[in-house]
Formats: sequence, structure tokens, C-alpha cells
Amino acid sequence: MENKWLEKTIRHERRALERARRRFVADPSEAHLHDVRTNGRRFRSLLEDVAELDPHPRLLRRVRRAAAATDAARDATIIRQLLEGSMDPTELDIARPLVDELREREKLATRLARKRLRQMSFLGIS
Amino acid sequence: MKPERVDLDGVTNLHDIVACVVQTRLREVEALASGLERRDKQGLHDFRIACKRLRYALERFTDLDGSYEASAERFKALQDALGEARDRDVLLTILPPTMGKTQRRLLQEREQCVDRAAALWKHPAGAEGSHEI
Repeated sequence: MENKWLEKTIRHERRALERARRRFVADPSEAHLHDVRTNGRRFRSLLEDVAELDPHPRLLRRVRRAAAATDAARDATIIRQLLEGSMDPTELDIARPLVDELREREKLATRLARKRLRQMSFLGIS
Repeated sequence: MKPERVDLDGVTNLHDIVACVVQTRLREVEALASGLERRDKQGLHDFRIACKRLRYALERFTDLDGSYEASAERFKALQDALGEARDRDVLLTILPPTMGKTQRRLLQEREQCVDRAAALWKHPAGAEGSHEI
């Protein structure tokens, strides 16, 4: 009964992450990036919590790598949005180069994340 | 920051597994709560990550025990406030020094986020201040 619940939960979260990964690879939008990161964090937390009972070392490493692959894209997006929303109107000209740089960083980091995640299936790995 | 290992040696009952995970993650949160008092960047970050781990565990186990739901929501609110403070810390490190007005605004917002987090931590159930889950 206990193992069944755990197996079912791991299977469910693994599939949810895989679906999110495929959606992001097909369309690397900000919403899909958010989904793949959220599903990845939840799944990673589950695998870490029950590692002693049901270890999946390779899968856990892959989930961690996927998170790392998307960090830069997420950071650039969040920081740019925060900067745009909080800068003082009198400092717009000073902020513009930084906004442009963050936008460029966001584009490159999203492209790189997509490239890495394209080769990173979460199915068929233990 | 690596998560503390959940000691599940000899634990087979599902109820006990859930309790072990939640207690371990809560212990982690409590051990790092000094970061919230110090209000420093790294301390807040570590505390936020620990809150996130606990929140995910609580949300996962809500299906098995509905009494975790209220705690999960509380830790989500706490983690959100800490996340907003964190975003401001990150932006402040790359903000041009000539953007003084924006910097002051961000610092003020950061302090408000930390105040919000501290209030949520101090009065977790809006009552006695116990972190029992």
C-alpha cells in the first residue's frame, strides 16, 4: 500500500515534468518555462524526501541538471520585469542599457535552456 | 544548500513516512530561521529554500492528510514574501549606482517584504506563535 502510493506519486510527477518539458521545447514561452521549473522543483523535492526508500539517483541528477539549465533564463526574466516595474521615471534613460542587456540575456538563456532540455527526457531513467 | 537527509531507516508505514519527512523539513526551517532575524541576503535565501522544501512536502501530503493544507498555504505566503525580497536583492546587485531613487525604492520594498515574512513566521497560525504542523 505504502509503496504503491509512492510509486504512483513518482510516476505521476515524472509524467507531469515530462509533459512540461515537451511543451517548453515545442514553445519556449515564459509560461512554459515557469511550468517546467515548477514541476521540476516539486519532483526534485519528492525524490530528495524519499531517497532512502525509493532511490532514483540518475533521475534526481537529471532533474537537478534541468533546473540548473533553466535558472539563467528565469533570473533574467524576473529581474527585467522587476526593474521595468520599479524604476523611478526620472531614471529611465540610465536603466535602458540594463533593460536591453537583460532582454538579450533572457533570449540567449531561454534558447540554451531549450537546447539542453530537448535532449533530456525524464522517462526511461531510474 | 543541500537538503537534510530524511532518515527513513526501518520506517514502512505511510503515516510514519509522512511524519518523518514533515518533521525533518520543519527542523530545517527552524534551524535556518535566524537568517530571517539577521535579514541578510544569504540567510534569507537559505531560509526561503528550506520553507519551499517544507511547503512542497506539505502540499504533496495534503492528499493523504487534509490537515496539512492550512500549513501549506501559510508557508506559501511566507515563501512568496521571501521570494519578493530575494528578487530585489538580486536586482540591487546589478543596478547602476547612478540609479539612486530606484535603489532606495527597492531597498524600502525589500524591507517591507522581510517585515511581511517575519510577521508570518512570528504568528504562523495568526495566534500563539507555534510552528507545530
